[in-house]
Amino acid sequence: MMNEKLKWLFSPGSVAVIGASDSFDKLGYHVMKSLVKGRYRGAIYPVNPKAEKLWGIRTYPSLKDIPGEVDLAVIVVPAPSVPGTLQECGQKMVKGVVLITAGYKEIEDSQGETLEGEIKEIAGRYEIPIIGPNTFGFVNMTDGVNASFTYEFSLIKKGGVTLISQSGGFCHLCGFLAMEERMGMAKLMSLGNRVNVDFPEALRHFIEEDDATRVIALYIEGLDEPRGLLEMARSMGGKKPIIAYKAGKSEKGDSASRFHTGSLAGKYEIWKGALRQARILEVTSAEELIDTAKVLDVCAPIKGNRIAVLSGQAGPGMIAADALEDAGLKLAGFTTTTQEKINELLPPVAIRTNPVDMGPAWYSPKAMLDILKVTLEDEGIDGVIFIAMFASANLEVTKTMEGLMKDIEPFKKPVVACFTAPAGVWDEEIKRMDGEKGVAIIHTPERAAKAMGNLWKMQLIMR
Amino acid sequence: MEKLLLGIDALNFLEKEGFPVLKNALARDENEAAGIAAGIGFPVALKVSSPDVIHKTETGGIVLALEDGGATWEAFKEITSAFLSDHPGKRLEGVIVQKMGSGLELIVGVLRDQQFGPVLMFGLGGIFVEAMKDVSFRCIPIDARDAKEMVEELQAYNVLKSTRKETIDLSVIGDFLLQISKLVERHRGIHEMDLNPVFVSSKGISVCDVRIKIDQ
Repeated sequence: MMNEKLKWLFSPGSVAVIGASDSFDKLGYHVMKSLVKGRYRGAIYPVNPKAEKLWGIRTYPSLKDIPGEVDLAVIVVPAPSVPGTLQECGQKMVKGVVLITAGYKEIEDSQGETLEGEIKEIAGRYEIPIIGPNTFGFVNMTDGVNASFTYEFSLIKKGGVTLISQSGGFCHLCGFLAMEERMGMAKLMSLGNRVNVDFPEALRHFIEEDDATRVIALYIEGLDEPRGLLEMARSMGGKKPIIAYKAGKSEKGDSASRFHTGSLAGKYEIWKGALRQARILEVTSAEELIDTAKVLDVCAPIKGNRIAVLSGQAGPGMIAADALEDAGLKLAGFTTTTQEKINELLPPVAIRTNPVDMGPAWYSPKAMLDILKVTLEDEGIDGVIFIAMFASANLEVTKTMEGLMKDIEPFKKPVVACFTAPAGVWDEEIKRMDGEKGVAIIHTPERAAKAMGNLWKMQLIMR
Repeated sequence: MEKLLLGIDALNFLEKEGFPVLKNALARDENEAAGIAAGIGFPVALKVSSPDVIHKTETGGIVLALEDGGATWEAFKEITSAFLSDHPGKRLEGVIVQKMGSGLELIVGVLRDQQFGPVLMFGLGGIFVEAMKDVSFRCIPIDARDAKEMVEELQAYNVLKSTRKETIDLSVIGDFLLQISKLVERHRGIHEMDLNPVFVSSKGISVCDVRIKIDQ
């Protein structure tokens, strides 16, 4: 029942905003803005007893006055009136609720916990799944549903990454980083206080029911019962890659033990082992989360750990080569045929073995692409890191490359590229190439190597 | 109610559960110690047995690598009199005479975490645990793949893989971890457990010392 309703919750045909407003200092204003400016295609029903029209849309005094069915209710009224509002949602047979209102278990006043208990009871009685309370909401990039108080999330590129977060703040951090890094997302959500939709439910939904989600990223702070999440992830048996960022690393273990084991077991150390056991790849920074999720989403699967590094300039190539080892990868050796072909494409004025210094091909983007193709053809190479730094003389490189990029897709091998240029110079080409034809563009050589390494680690975890 | 199972009692418990433990017996006087040692075969180690001592290294109650009956006889007298004068009020049951372990020292542990429930720990003894905290954890129960990964993810994995003298069959360690996981599932009263050290060599694996905290 809950499972079926979650589908409606995340892809509703109609949304009621309870506590809708046209005054900027109210959350109800920003939720309306997200739906309207975010170009939600279903019916929007603002609910506010003091207005007839909000955002140019007919407004209803209460939920029961709405003529049609309501799939999703977004609630932003103050905490004390939420139980009554939820009651009405139950009577109206609303299929799901986003409860943005805060002031529950997370506050110091014990009244908050009592109110949350009441909410849980009503939600249980009517079998309504609730995202929240104390959440910014969710955004469904796939279908254009922004049920949050931050309209700008609607500008995130559509893609296959879904973030399930225990913090709204982290969604804002990653959502905006995703824009900067051109990471395509399917869904973005904060679970809030997790009254009845917790990690296991959300995870199951996005793995089993949501085809648009290809990669799942989790942000975890701390859980009273982590086994629910861990067992769900493990039972999904590698259907979709799951990565996780665990915060709160300094939390002490709870055993005041005189035993050796107890004294060695910090919470984070246990989390590390438990995540691995659940077939989840741990990442340790927001940028690693973005890079890894992006590569997992757009690149072809990697079949081994032998990598070629091709760089327009020797230095960045060497950095990538150094970083490979730490990332669990190896610098591949070229076959004689590959080396001969590279030698034909590059004059002997630079290092032509792996990592290849393509400096002499600077003026010929086609030669650079041909070198890339030659390495992709080599059966002893599982993936390529392709680097080019801007210089005034190679202004046209990305333009020409963009046209040739389609040739590398058929090889079905991951290519992680690193194009660095002054703002405004290669931006458009980079934007168009990133995420296409199996190529992911990552900011620095070190990060590119790490992301490629995580692609390989995930391959090992999922097998 | 909590109860500690230490020394011979803890080793006997493990042996009864089917775990390989280093041969041992309790001696009450020096003559008995020498006799037991001859029966077990040299070299042997002596450890004072007291229900009041959890960590024997703290009390200096261990003598290692005794090569014959005479040395065993002498060592018994020395550690018992030292124990009695250094720790007035602590009870002395006798001295455990145990076959000396050889090979690499491992530590295997169990704890119960409020959130995670029963958790298994594995590491290499000595500086790897003490200084580097190089240990791996998994929630109990584990499966064969988890056991293998617990061993592989240690920084000291290379030490395990290639000891200078001999080849250690790593699947023996994995099987041992699986057996401990099963033991904890069978005996829900096991609250905490230190198997430290456990010796592994090309000849196999055996438990040298174990402490168990039991919830009753």
